[in-house]
Amino acid sequence: MGYAMARFHFPGKSVIKSLMDLPIAFPELVLRLCLLLLFGQTPVGKAMEEAGIRVVFTKLGIVVAQIFTALPYAARILYSTFESVNPRYELVSRSLGYGEFESFKNVTIPLARNGLFASTVITFARSMGAFGAVLILAGGSYMNTETLPITLYLNISYGNIGMAITSGIVLVVLAFLAILVFEKVEGGL
Amino acid sequence: MILEIENLCVDLGEFKLNGVSLKADRGDYIVIIGPTGSGKSIVLETVAGFYKPIRGKIRLEGRDITFLPIEKRNVSIVYQDRALFPHMSVFENIAYGLKKKERNSSIVREEVRKIAKILGISHLLHRKPDTLSGGEQQRVAIARALVVKPKLLLMDEPFSALDVKTRENLRKLVKKAVKKYDTTVLHVTHDFEDVFSLANEVAVMKDGEIVQTGRPEEIFSRPLNDFVADFVDGD
Repeated sequence: MGYAMARFHFPGKSVIKSLMDLPIAFPELVLRLCLLLLFGQTPVGKAMEEAGIRVVFTKLGIVVAQIFTALPYAARILYSTFESVNPRYELVSRSLGYGEFESFKNVTIPLARNGLFASTVITFARSMGAFGAVLILAGGSYMNTETLPITLYLNISYGNIGMAITSGIVLVVLAFLAILVFEKVEGGL
Repeated sequence: MILEIENLCVDLGEFKLNGVSLKADRGDYIVIIGPTGSGKSIVLETVAGFYKPIRGKIRLEGRDITFLPIEKRNVSIVYQDRALFPHMSVFENIAYGLKKKERNSSIVREEVRKIAKILGISHLLHRKPDTLSGGEQQRVAIARALVVKPKLLLMDEPFSALDVKTRENLRKLVKKAVKKYDTTVLHVTHDFEDVFSLANEVAVMKDGEIVQTGRPEEIFSRPLNDFVADFVDGD
């Protein structure tokens, strides 16, 4: 998506770009409510449920919520990354006999690897820290649809401060490790 | 006739090519000159397949390539900014196109060494492009474009960002390499020295049209109109 936005010009591109960015600026609670309605009450949600795909209050809901939380950030980083790679490299590669996909694989991907890695780390960090969306869509039920931020929230609710702090520390350590790996890999690239 | 461009029209919104026609025989070295914004580079990039014309034909060795995908044309391009792949070594850059055509790695190595020797870059093969000077980078770009034995070599102001001495050396090397590889060249430039040193045919462009073609001495001694006279006189 980020690549298509960076490389191709088509009618309505700015509208699609704004739609992609919308979840970043949209009031979080409204967005989560939209997701809950989309996968619960709308024809889309009902059709999915009839097909045996249940999103609301399930583990799949965690994945969907995390995707909706992290995707706009990933798409924005990838868009900037691919836009910074001079399209001339691909054109030269093609003039040397390689097709579009081969040129993308051989030239653009290696040149965009820092951005690709950055987007992976940011996506991971955003997904790991996603709270509101997961709580609303997946329900946040104990030992079922529980992620680290939800564990933290549930333990605060139960008054189990020790466990809440432990969850918080695990979250911070994971975030720190993600950034550390990013710095190391980026330095080595 | 190896290249025939016939009434080529390209519409890029803010700029148009209006009925460009040009012919080249095998081994011709055609230099396209004209003021900035006259459409010289657009002609090259349309021949390379980067732009789709709205009218006209491009034939290479009699085959209509007007709408052929870039990779199927066997046309190489060299830019002023070189566009060398920064993540590959000089050897890998030169071998890149060749590897697509030739599976035998010893032949690839041999061909790369051959062109590297002609262009005087044998000692640079293990280096990364960003560690080379502008002149060295341009020699690598020319080697990469020529080693695949293109039917047509397109050069877009290849010597513009270089100093006078380097340009002189490169002209000699390009002349030698192009002759060795028996390649037809379309070369866009602002530098009349390129015309005198390399061209056997010149095309002068203005506002998306070719206003005069001919041998270099014809263009400079018998300009067809005031524009060409002013342009070749005013450099």
